[in-house]
Parts: sequence; structure tokens; C-alpha cells
Amino acid sequence: MINWFKRRRNKKTSYDTNEEWVEALSPPVDEQAVEVLRKKLIQGLKPALHKYVDRELDQFVEDVAQDALLKVLDNIDTFRGESKLTTWAMKIAVREGLTELRLKRYDDISIEDLKPNDESREVFSLSVASNETSPDRSLHESQLIDKVMQIINEELTDKQKKAINALMIQGLPMPAVVKLMHTNRNALYKLVYDARMKIKTKLELEGIDPEKMLNKL
Amino acid sequence: MELTPDILKKLIKSAQMATDQEIGCEECFDELHEFAELELAGKSPAEAKPLVQDHLDKCGSCREEYQALLEALRNIENDN
Ligand SMILES: [Zn+2]
Repeated sequence: MINWFKRRRNKKTSYDTNEEWVEALSPPVDEQAVEVLRKKLIQGLKPALHKYVDRELDQFVEDVAQDALLKVLDNIDTFRGESKLTTWAMKIAVREGLTELRLKRYDDISIEDLKPNDESREVFSLSVASNETSPDRSLHESQLIDKVMQIINEELTDKQKKAINALMIQGLPMPAVVKLMHTNRNALYKLVYDARMKIKTKLELEGIDPEKMLNKL
Repeated sequence: MELTPDILKKLIKSAQMATDQEIGCEECFDELHEFAELELAGKSPAEAKPLVQDHLDKCGSCREEYQALLEALRNIENDN
């Protein structure tokens, strides 16, 4: 009787608490738990990713779930229980899937797309587009524009200029720029953040109110 | 390459919105599972975790992942 119960317990198919999950997914890993989690990830990933995947959704989602499971098992000791384990695991799986899709989406993008920047240290040969310049653009307004351009050219590093150029001027999506600049999303965000802070601080130092400035543009 | 007033505006706006406490994509990711559960429970994640909300407002990639995560979680919620 006791043996029967033990065997039943080993054949568990549902894991209700985080404690049960963590125990099952920590070494020695309970294969049954991995399978239950795999099914759950697939069940969530399919509807979440279907709009991004034009064919072989099933195969794609299974691959993503597999890669995510390995990450979950590798990092199970970092799970601090602030949410259900399945929520945490799904977060890892969704990022895995979208990261993969983004890499594919920008497969064709090449460094050529950023070439114009490499020609000069001044990343944008900064000038206001002539067709946008109305004859009655006030002196004050063009001074403000010049000021911002000067800040960008003098205060930002080449890398920051390149990132701002790609993201804001060429309007490339972030994942494309990540790929082009051989960086990662977090580093790119921080790079641009530092640039934004520099521009903000410099404007303040110059006594320029961005709010007023925007109204004048 | 030319800087149009529209782009300049975008640039100034994004500089203006920069704050001292802004978090990056990794820090946002670290809290995203909690944030998602608050939202699914009908609580206000933006109040509980304003910096995560701020990052999601500013970062399209993280926002895209968050939307997909909510979608995924809604589909496993019933038998969770
Ligand atoms: Zn982000």
C-alpha cells in the first residue's frame, strides 16, 4: 500500500504550489514536471506568438519551449517566488520566442544600412531639411535648432550619435539597431538613455526650457 | 542626412522624458512576472511598480514582450 502511494506520487501530473514546482525542477529533475511545464508553455506561446509566425508555428513554438525549459532549469535557483512559477517560466519563454523572431526578422539587415554615419565624425551632417524650412522661420527658432545640434555634436559619443541616428533619424526598430551595432537591447537602451540625459542636462544648463522649445517648433 | 523639425521634436521630447531613476530592459524583465500577475489580478501594477510602467511606456521591445506575455498567461490561466 505504501509502495503504491509512493509510485502514485512519482506519477504526479499537476504541481500546485511553487514549492512543489521548485522541488520538482531542481536536481534531480522530475521529468514529469518538465513535461507538464512544457505543455503549459506551448499552450501559452501559441496564441501569444501566432501573429508573428507565418508558418510552422507548432515546430517553432516547440523549439522555443525547449530552449526556455533549459533556461528555467538552469536558473531555477534564482526564482524567488514573487509570482507563480508558471508565470515566471512563461516570461522566459516569451522573451526567448520574440528574441528568436526578431533575429530572423532582421536577418537581411546589413551594416550598409548604417553606412552614412561612418563617413564623418559628425554623425548627422546636421542641417535642417531645406524643404522644411519655411521662409518665415524665426531667427530664434533656428537658433534653438542650432543649439540642439551643437549639443548632439559636441556632447554625445560617436556610439551615442550612431544609435540616435539609427533609431530616431532613420527610424530603424530597436532590434535591428541591436543587431547592426552588435550590442544587446539593455546596453542599447542604456546608451540612448545616457545620451538623452546629456541633452536634457545641457539644455537645462543653457537655460533652455524644452517645453517652450517644443512649442516653438 | 538632414534633421527635420519633426525629428528634432522627437529627440527633444525623448530627452525631456529622461529621468534619474529610469530602469533598463534587464531590470524591467526582472520584475515583469510580478507586474503581469498584478495586472491579471486586476490590481494596479503601474502604481505598485511605477518604474516598470515607465520603462514599458518608453521601450517598444519590452512592451511587445509584455503584451505577448499577458496573452500567453491568459491562455493558461484557466487551468493554472
Ligand atoms: Zn526595454
